[in-house]
Amino acid sequence: MISFVRSLTILNDILNDCLFTPSNLTAGWAFRLQEPPRRPVYTGWEPREGPLSRLPTERRTHVSAPPTVRAKAAPAGAPPGAPTLRQLTRSEFNPAPLVGIVAVLVLLGIRYLTPPEVTAWMTDPARDFVTLSISVVIESLPFVFLGIVLSSLVQVWLPEGFLLRRLPKNPALRRLCISLLGVLLPVCECGNVPLARGLIMSGLTVADSMTFLFAAPIINPITIITTYQAFGFNDGILVSRIVGGLLIANLVGWIFSRHPQPESLLTPGFQETCAVDAATPRTHRARRTFVQFSQETSAMMPALFIGAGIAGLIQVAVSRNILLALGSNPVWSVLALMILAFVVAICSNVDAFFILSFGSTFLPGGIVAFLVFGPMIDVKMLALLRTTFTAKTLVQVSILIAMCAATLGLAVNYVF
Amino acid sequence: MSFSRLVARWQGLALSLVGVVATVWLGLSGQLGLYIHPRYFVFTLIMAAVAVVLIVGAFAAVPAADDDDHAGHGHGPGAHGSGSHDAGGHRAPGGRSRLWMLTATAASILVVVAAVVALLVVPPATLTSSTVEQRSINSASTTLDANRTSGGVGSAAPGGSDDTSAYTVKDWSLLLRQGVGLDWFDGRSASVTGFVTPDADDPDNVFFVARFVVTCCAVDAQPVGVAVYEPGWQSSYPTDSWVSVDGTFGADPSVLSTANIVLTPASITGIPQPSDPYVY
Repeated sequence: MISFVRSLTILNDILNDCLFTPSNLTAGWAFRLQEPPRRPVYTGWEPREGPLSRLPTERRTHVSAPPTVRAKAAPAGAPPGAPTLRQLTRSEFNPAPLVGIVAVLVLLGIRYLTPPEVTAWMTDPARDFVTLSISVVIESLPFVFLGIVLSSLVQVWLPEGFLLRRLPKNPALRRLCISLLGVLLPVCECGNVPLARGLIMSGLTVADSMTFLFAAPIINPITIITTYQAFGFNDGILVSRIVGGLLIANLVGWIFSRHPQPESLLTPGFQETCAVDAATPRTHRARRTFVQFSQETSAMMPALFIGAGIAGLIQVAVSRNILLALGSNPVWSVLALMILAFVVAICSNVDAFFILSFGSTFLPGGIVAFLVFGPMIDVKMLALLRTTFTAKTLVQVSILIAMCAATLGLAVNYVF
Repeated sequence: MSFSRLVARWQGLALSLVGVVATVWLGLSGQLGLYIHPRYFVFTLIMAAVAVVLIVGAFAAVPAADDDDHAGHGHGPGAHGSGSHDAGGHRAPGGRSRLWMLTATAASILVVVAAVVALLVVPPATLTSSTVEQRSINSASTTLDANRTSGGVGSAAPGGSDDTSAYTVKDWSLLLRQGVGLDWFDGRSASVTGFVTPDADDPDNVFFVARFVVTCCAVDAQPVGVAVYEPGWQSSYPTDSWVSVDGTFGADPSVLSTANIVLTPASITGIPQPSDPYVY
């Protein structure tokens, strides 16, 4: 066990060395953040030194030597001038990886040791509530991770201003471009939230990021393909969805771009994160990716789990039959399906298939309203968005989008 | 470092870890299908693997960021989560904000505990009949499998004699819903597998052999089913148990039930829940 712990410690050191390239070796093994002067203007891709090239030879040999051999080779009576590896590692022992491994073992232990009868006392609705909530979590989790990875890509790995520099200066044109950006980033709505956060942190305005946030899940290529597969060009559903979605997203962006203090739309916590991020240099990329992952999961995961819980609860509490019964009335179908979209919180990539299964009962206007409103606003999305925007902003945005989607749906029902 | 900040910092990683462990375990034990559509299996597991790499890296990197924070540089990049409750960290340590921080910390811990209980303690389960009641059986005329079933309807419609032995609950329920008449169904034999759920109008005599159709995940599951006429079924087959029914279709003898065509069973066999309880 002791040697196991020791090799872990060494592993941790090597990780620190390889990934984080301490620039000040006299500071010892611990990583110390030296804030280098920020480059005022981006000058293009600059090749960085390899992570090991700045280390002296002695250190390099240590890193490349197999850790266990090295640990054994360091005798207890080493010359006093040369500290043993153990002495070097002890002072800066980092327990976190060990804690992580223990946590995984504990979690697996819980999973394997829990008897299946543990839920025997639960009633059926309670059981379904748990099943439904888990299903939302399991389904959304990979998309949230993907969103965080893409967000790090934009913030940490792409050169500074890579995306923003290329956008047109004219605000309306810029928002149009941003609303079309989703074609390149095929993430459904839950992944868009971390991505939009990343865009705000790297300097996109709040209004522009809203345009991206609400357009991307609809303009996303997978969504367009599945909508086409489900409906073809029947009843103008596909066209209304894409055009309507883009219009609404641009409208929301335009309205909020008139806001005198756009920062006040954001939660204080997120404003703080943005301020910190702006002051952080673009160095130590791997390390920053990890730190950012930890930051973003701290914000998104509680929201996701709480959102999933609320979504599961509503599923159990609200009977779907009433909503479905209203589906053939030109006015009520629009409202009922928007409520359904809000409640079901289904991923925009497949919502077309879902609503198609009711196709014969609903009017096209209701379906369009469902397909436009659902990707922008639903229970889960509100929980995720709350990490970034204030409650007041979210209420305003929700009402605005709901009115637009309802108008669009009614227009499809009555005009076309 | 205060306990509240410790919790705020590690909460995201802890929840990610719980989610990833649960996902991978479900994937390895073949139970992922209880929650999501199979088309997401590969993507979900790949992203879980990516998340493992990121979590491992974050476990190594975040304490270093923490050191920075304490070394006097002020704003270490990892120092502040973005949740609104972190804003309290910089307020003057007044009584109210301290109480608020304690509440936020307790809430954070509660979320983690709830996640562990839901994802790792509660055994994986399918949806039950209580959800069938919520979503009225056969309200969806699923046409996802249009190429298969519409072909079936086209060629198997009255007069056809094609093979219906491979028809599932979903296929039959679709045919029933599409209004293919009794003259086609009458006397046709079928073998269906599903769980038992009572007919809402005549629960004493009629039950449905039902399956959930899943588009994306269990949240959007819609129940489909074939009505079976078997007075007194409740004494032999509990609700939500799985059965395999062989029988022939015919007019519904029940007065109360709204189903027009029911399956009259020749044999009903109780079976264990299949590994893929949903249909797609």
